[in-house]
Amino acid sequence: MEAGILTIGALAPILVVLAFILPLLGIFIKRKVFFHAYAVVVTALIAAATTYNLIVVWREGPQLYAFGGWPPPLGISYEVDALGAVLGALTAWVMLFIAIYSCWYMDKETGIPYYYTLLLGLEAGLIGCIYTGDAFNLFVMLEVLSISAYGLVGFHRGRAEAVEAAVKYGIIGAAATTVYFIALVFIYGSYGTLNMADLAIKARVMAVATPFSGGYYGNIAVAAALAVALSLWVFTYKSALFPNHFWLPDAHPEAPTPVSAALSGLVVNIGAYTVMRFLYTMFGSNSVLTVAKYPFRDIILWALLILGIVSGLVGALMMIVQEDIKRLLAYSTVSHVGLVFMGLSLGFSTVPLAATQEALTASLYHLINHSVGKALLFMAAGIFIGIAGTRKLDGLAGSGRKAPLATAAFFIGFLQLMGLPPLGGFFSKFLLYSAFMEAGMPIVAVLVVIISAISVLGYAKAMYSVWFRPPAKEFKNPAGITLPTAVVLFLAVVCVGLGIAAPYLTSALSTTIANSLMGKGVLSYIQAFLKTINYLSPP
Amino acid sequence: MIDVNAFLFSVLVFSLIMNLGISLYGIFWRPSLVKKIIALTILGDTANVLAIVVGYRAWIAPNRPPIPPVLTTWKPTAADLSKFSSLAVDPLPQALVLTAVVIGLAVTVFLVFLTIQVYRLHGTTDVRKIAKLKG
Repeated sequence: MEAGILTIGALAPILVVLAFILPLLGIFIKRKVFFHAYAVVVTALIAAATTYNLIVVWREGPQLYAFGGWPPPLGISYEVDALGAVLGALTAWVMLFIAIYSCWYMDKETGIPYYYTLLLGLEAGLIGCIYTGDAFNLFVMLEVLSISAYGLVGFHRGRAEAVEAAVKYGIIGAAATTVYFIALVFIYGSYGTLNMADLAIKARVMAVATPFSGGYYGNIAVAAALAVALSLWVFTYKSALFPNHFWLPDAHPEAPTPVSAALSGLVVNIGAYTVMRFLYTMFGSNSVLTVAKYPFRDIILWALLILGIVSGLVGALMMIVQEDIKRLLAYSTVSHVGLVFMGLSLGFSTVPLAATQEALTASLYHLINHSVGKALLFMAAGIFIGIAGTRKLDGLAGSGRKAPLATAAFFIGFLQLMGLPPLGGFFSKFLLYSAFMEAGMPIVAVLVVIISAISVLGYAKAMYSVWFRPPAKEFKNPAGITLPTAVVLFLAVVCVGLGIAAPYLTSALSTTIANSLMGKGVLSYIQAFLKTINYLSPP
Repeated sequence: MIDVNAFLFSVLVFSLIMNLGISLYGIFWRPSLVKKIIALTILGDTANVLAIVVGYRAWIAPNRPPIPPVLTTWKPTAADLSKFSSLAVDPLPQALVLTAVVIGLAVTVFLVFLTIQVYRLHGTTDVRKIAKLKG
């Protein structure tokens, strides 16, 4: 199918439709079990479709879907390369487990149709952001994602803190996305196109002329630098990188627990992914950002590296002083996002390409480890909060003894993020460490270890409270926690699997990075674009 | 003699930059949530005006304005097409603005609802008085 496979283009629109008929159905159907089943079935179908996309992309290279049959730079196109396919499948699978967990968690709440509307809307935004091949469509999908996320944070609208967290997240988030729109105006004004593959061609000043996008206007290097600088705000905001991390620790305690899992496990990936897209696919190492008179790209990457280090340290340090388990986990997210950004910023022109590839692989591997581990931790914490009726670590003391299986999964999740071999977190951190050593930056490599070491204190505190401390009071035996326990245990098995399969995963993810962000990968991204143009409008 | 066009263009650019500054100031430093939302709409409008300015096409001659991007002949020849492309304005920035306006409306409505909810719960929209979260 030359015009593109349907599971790439159709996913986001179908998800939006499926999400927004839910309030209508809620008028006629009152049984909660229908909505639970609906959400699980829909997310399962999406997971299957994204897995199919992953297989196709893995075998045949980047796939492009042109909406409405318009040749790409004219119409919107969705383009999935290896990186997008991996992250899309990760998102859909974690979302499936979040939906299953919601069946238990949300059962006592009211307004379930609206909850699932927002959750499926969030998934539509996430999948759309990852699959899109158009910078403006990325803006639209960011807004779909953001609105759903603001709504989910403020879902308990009777609680003052929830509404306050949502409004704080919402106002700054809306300002950041608007600034991204300004960045797009600069890109369009200077390059005359918003298609990512077309921008990748034009930013490298390659002699490939498509019939639909003309020349340049103005100084393209300055326009690109300005656009990247402006768009980084929204990307770092979405991924909660210091100093844009303030919304995350506020939003988590008040949001429903499955939503915390989605915000920490999935939404933060979007920021890292879009930064990779912008700084490697579009404005990569041989583009105008590098070869201009001023090394804009190196400056931006250095800034990201420093912010990543600060974010890792701040997150790890703040974790130690937290009394609220969900805030503790939120600061852990800030710390891990810092590590991910440290990895993806190692693309300076002075660094050998092998080290860049290794660091990006480490980044992607760590994103996967963190998504699974953090989703697991929030969901397990939700079980303990259900038992103890409080989020405070003092109140939670000993509550894990009532749910030993969930506690086991909880411990595996912490050990995963802490980086204990043979779990996944160890291998991704080690890969990051060796990438920095290879790049000749031993100080930064040591900082990776220091950040991990500081964060151990915070993790140990949470683990100690939940299991080892004497119970704060006599807890009732929890009833009906089979389903959430099964979910967290399954995710724990995945964590172990991510570690045991490390040699295979490392090489597979390294291939993924080589096939999507390095020179050869960008070329295949561009070729898929040109092939579709030739198919849809033969010369 | 003063160049009116260049002067007006400078005024436009200057006011856009001023608007950006004022709206960001409003979003970050005004304590009232309502004023923050107003500043947010100013930011959105500034971005939209910027997009429209980018899509601006100067008059080809003093009495020949650019035309809308609609091809009126049924079976255009090559000459028709080249004349069309030399006269028509670029429709894309306007399409972008249309999308951004609609999205901005949705976001604003949502934030206004949240502000009403804040007012119901706290009796004020002053962020200094409602601040309970530590960040």
